[in-house]
Amino acid sequence: MPAVIDPAKCNGCELCDLYCPVDVIHMEGKVAVVRYPDECWHCGACRLECARDAVTFEFSRAMLSV
Amino acid sequence: MSDRKVHEVDTDVAIIGGGTAGLNSAMAAAEAGCRVLIVDKANIVHSGAIAGGIDHFVAYLGTGPSWDTREAYLGYVGRVARGAADLDVHDAVYCDELDAALARTEKIGVSLRQPDGKIFRTQAMGQPGPYFINFDGKHLKPKMAMEVKRRKCEILNRVQVTNIYLHDGELAGFTGYDIRTGDFYRIRAKAVVIATGNTNRMFNAQIGNPFNLWYCPANTGDLHRAAFDAGVALANMEYVRMTIVPKGFSAPGFNAFFGMGARLVNSLREPFMKNYHEMADKAPRNFMVWGALQELKEGRGPIYMDCRHLKPKELEHLFFTLGIDKDTLPEFLLAKGYAKEEAMIEMTVSEPMQARPSELCGSGIRIDRHCASNVPGIYAAGDASDQMGCLHMAMAGGFAAGKHAAAYAKKIAHLRPLDTHAMAEEEARVFRPLERRSGITYREFENIVRIICTDHFGPVKTELSLTGALEKLDRLDTARDELKADNMHELMRAHEALNIHQVSKISARAALERRESRFHPYQYRADFPQTDDANYCGLMVIQKQPDGAVTTRLDKLKYAA
Repeated sequence: MPAVIDPAKCNGCELCDLYCPVDVIHMEGKVAVVRYPDECWHCGACRLECARDAVTFEFSRAMLSV
Repeated sequence: MSDRKVHEVDTDVAIIGGGTAGLNSAMAAAEAGCRVLIVDKANIVHSGAIAGGIDHFVAYLGTGPSWDTREAYLGYVGRVARGAADLDVHDAVYCDELDAALARTEKIGVSLRQPDGKIFRTQAMGQPGPYFINFDGKHLKPKMAMEVKRRKCEILNRVQVTNIYLHDGELAGFTGYDIRTGDFYRIRAKAVVIATGNTNRMFNAQIGNPFNLWYCPANTGDLHRAAFDAGVALANMEYVRMTIVPKGFSAPGFNAFFGMGARLVNSLREPFMKNYHEMADKAPRNFMVWGALQELKEGRGPIYMDCRHLKPKELEHLFFTLGIDKDTLPEFLLAKGYAKEEAMIEMTVSEPMQARPSELCGSGIRIDRHCASNVPGIYAAGDASDQMGCLHMAMAGGFAAGKHAAAYAKKIAHLRPLDTHAMAEEEARVFRPLERRSGITYREFENIVRIICTDHFGPVKTELSLTGALEKLDRLDTARDELKADNMHELMRAHEALNIHQVSKISARAALERRESRFHPYQYRADFPQTDDANYCGLMVIQKQPDGAVTTRLDKLKYAA
């Protein structure tokens, strides 16, 4: 898993959805969701823009294990 | 889809691709008094290669030493990018613009200095002196986006450009669609600057994920393909670029590691780069990749980035810089169990990509001193051009391209017409994958392209491997009409996959025509392993003629002895 958004912290501001350069984050209702996690570039743009510290990064088992 | 909105937009200068080069082009065209429209597939605040930050700016500063001059810099370009960099273009698009580019960076609010107010420079990649200004460019992209808004440029975010149209051999405009709403755009412009970067996702990547890439995976050669189809000549397309990345995560960091004095060692704990280049770990990038590939091939892998000899202060700076260039890299290294102290970080050779063979040139639209292509009205900048690459050239040369496009636009009295029939045909073509109930997905299609490219020229190639690749890639044409998309995101990816497929053919064809090796392993012909300056010191230019035939020619380049 790459960018992970905590729905409890997300305030629905849409900035991560707006600024993701690879279109992987989409709003679902009032919460941002990482809809295409396998297409995340791990650039951190979503986290840089999040004022609520709702975004963290989890690297896949393969990335960390090889 | 009868409720689809169609927008007709007119402008003086259109910028396709709002990355570093594109935004600098926009600033220049706006400064010249033109109406400017920026079209980007993502959002210009965080799009393109430096979406998450950038940490180095290559520059000579004229501080006194003999290496710190324009002449020394051009000499370095001629040595390191021989056969790919056109020094005449370089002189105009980079050297003439450098001072202004440095000043502009500072003016929009990004300091090139360290917190103590001093310029800190490091040396790597064959440089004769420390040309890398280390700086905190974490917010450079958002600041540039603010600047183009301040200069009243119009912006169309989330619009993927699908084709370029000419009228009587000159630019008329282009089409695109909103990747979320599906709105269709017919855009007329007097001039256009293409600045859409290189082509990624063409070769297999680490851990089998095509988005785990050094460069931005949204850059998929969309405009290389569209420009090529419109008759625009491309050059340096045969090169397959690679770098050294952390094992598991294809993140940038090369400049930072080697600039700070880190060393590559093999599994015998031996530094090995001295066996491949006299400058050892300060050698140009392609030699580093070549050395690493040989060590891995000969069974002395894995390879490691040895940072153990660096002083605590140097390590502190290194890890800070790594996070500037790739926001998530420091935490990845920590998650893998690496501490700053005693760091021996396992590395590997990255995925290949269609891109420039050196930081000192580009790979794409053939440009002249005025950043103009062979088609009147079409200009190019940054990685999408054959002569610009890296931040320093995107900042400096991007601005140059915008200036020249604006000067051209001012001479054009009327916008040229877009053919109504062609517009209707393109709209139907673009959205057709949404109408298919069954067919091949972008993932499957793209994966086939990747396997072919990796097996046949990723990176080693021969005449047989390349002709075999072209046969397979041509056979895949039938699947192009079977791509299906279930939503707008998949539609965008489907078009990206189609473009990657076409660029891979262009790259293979250009590589076939260059019967020599250059920038090993970026153009490594196993059947012609030597560099042949007598016959191939120049640009392989590839172009689609009006009758559809693809032709190549070699534009020879001259360098001082």
